[in-house]
Amino acid sequence: MCRCPHKRARRRRHPLANVDRVTEFPAPALELTGLTKRYDDGLLALEEFDLRVEAGAFFGLLGPNGAGKTTLISAVCNLIRVTAGDIRIFGHEHTTMEARRLIGLAEQDVNLDRFLDVEETLMYHGGYYGMNRPTARRRAQEMMDIFDLRGKAAVRAPKLSGGMRRRLLLARALMHEPALVILDEPTAGVDFELRLELWRYIRRLHGEGTSICLTTHYLEEAEELCEEIALIRGGRLLARDTASGLRETYDAGSLADVYVKAMGTAS
Amino acid sequence: MTGRLLARHRGLAWLGGREVLRVLKLWSQTILAPVVASFLFILVFGLSLGGRIKSIDGVPYEVFIVPGLITMAMVQAAYQNNSSSLFQARFDRYIHDILAAPMKGWEVNLGLSLGGVVRALLIGLSLLGLSLAVTDVPVRHPLELVVAVTFALVLFSSLGIVVGIYAQTWDQAGFVNNIVILPLSFLGGVFYAIGRLPSPWKEVSHANPIFYLINAVRFGFLGRSDVPVWLCLAVTGVLATLMVAWTSWLFATGRRLKA
Repeated sequence: MCRCPHKRARRRRHPLANVDRVTEFPAPALELTGLTKRYDDGLLALEEFDLRVEAGAFFGLLGPNGAGKTTLISAVCNLIRVTAGDIRIFGHEHTTMEARRLIGLAEQDVNLDRFLDVEETLMYHGGYYGMNRPTARRRAQEMMDIFDLRGKAAVRAPKLSGGMRRRLLLARALMHEPALVILDEPTAGVDFELRLELWRYIRRLHGEGTSICLTTHYLEEAEELCEEIALIRGGRLLARDTASGLRETYDAGSLADVYVKAMGTAS
Repeated sequence: MTGRLLARHRGLAWLGGREVLRVLKLWSQTILAPVVASFLFILVFGLSLGGRIKSIDGVPYEVFIVPGLITMAMVQAAYQNNSSSLFQARFDRYIHDILAAPMKGWEVNLGLSLGGVVRALLIGLSLLGLSLAVTDVPVRHPLELVVAVTFALVLFSSLGIVVGIYAQTWDQAGFVNNIVILPLSFLGGVFYAIGRLPSPWKEVSHANPIFYLINAVRFGFLGRSDVPVWLCLAVTGVLATLMVAWTSWLFATGRRLKA
């Protein structure tokens, strides 16, 4: 996939990402330096982890359960305390208000506010990110249209179907027009049809210049969507390259073979 | 000026609004139930059984118990609301949406506290209105009353936040209310004047922090308390300050909220 700057500059504006994010942010979307996380129980989840994801990239993180993917995402989004290291979002230190405004997170678990309906979920999220009421309402309407949630506007999250909840999670993550969207296994446990639908949303978002960091267990998903893939295990980066680059490096016929070889070597 | 302030702290306003919305959506559970329960205390203990106790220090019994019952209902509501709301947010993990947002720790702390404060005020005002309909309870020192209620709400809202952060189970969140706040409220002189207790219970009662709170509120209503009102306000104010310091530390460091 071509990542030429002039092609990005031609990208059209779309409600999913209302500004051209690539030209807006010259610094890397995500830059981790020496990131280490040791939990209180002594578990070392990430060790001296370095990573740089360029603005506008579609980046995939692959690894088995316990590899450190969710820890990495939680550290970037200020959901855990970092033991050591530096995290920068488009050049801003990750704890700053500027950095937080630039990130949108859709977590692996469905963590929706049970007391709010669909429209309120979106509006309150927008409010937490500084939107005034008319703007939040307008944007919520937009997101409900894009994600086919309009008919469920007044339904509370626990009463939604699994697919609707997934869509709402993604809509919430995009509500404040983040420049870096982090998707932690966004298609885990969803049927094939919805997975294709979510892929379409995510592709469109990336097409508008939004940087995306995706974790997934589905190798075909990573190969289909990501421009570059990092393999991690035991809190360490094993390799990063394009899917074809990884296949070449590991002398493998498919990404699945790459995965097996990389994880086998690491264990 | 107000507009600019609101624009700078819009996240706080929305979070506070969310907490109040939760209280209002669950109004029958959060407002009506505690108002009915406390009003029944006033009716049963004050107007019915109170006939057997003519007065306490010249104050009719049905009037004497009103300040304590209003205080007890308010502090329980402030505590319960914030502990359950925050524990639920942690349990369902939608707290992540708030922790990741561009809000400072003190804004999250204040926003989460507002639900308990508003709920307690709605209950307190409802009970005062109902009490005025059936008793002649006066408000003799409104300034002291406002200060005492403010300290009470800050203290117990913050206690709810602390327990909401530390609790690992619903039982733990409920434990403090059932085993600490409720017994200490009853033993703090809601239904009687401590001065009438025999030694050593009279002295032991002085170690109960809710005793000072109830007496501060009672002074605001009735103009009488078992100990000087400045001591009541000082004890309650110091406890409220310590509790706010605790919650501020938790939100500033992320301890217990973030792994």
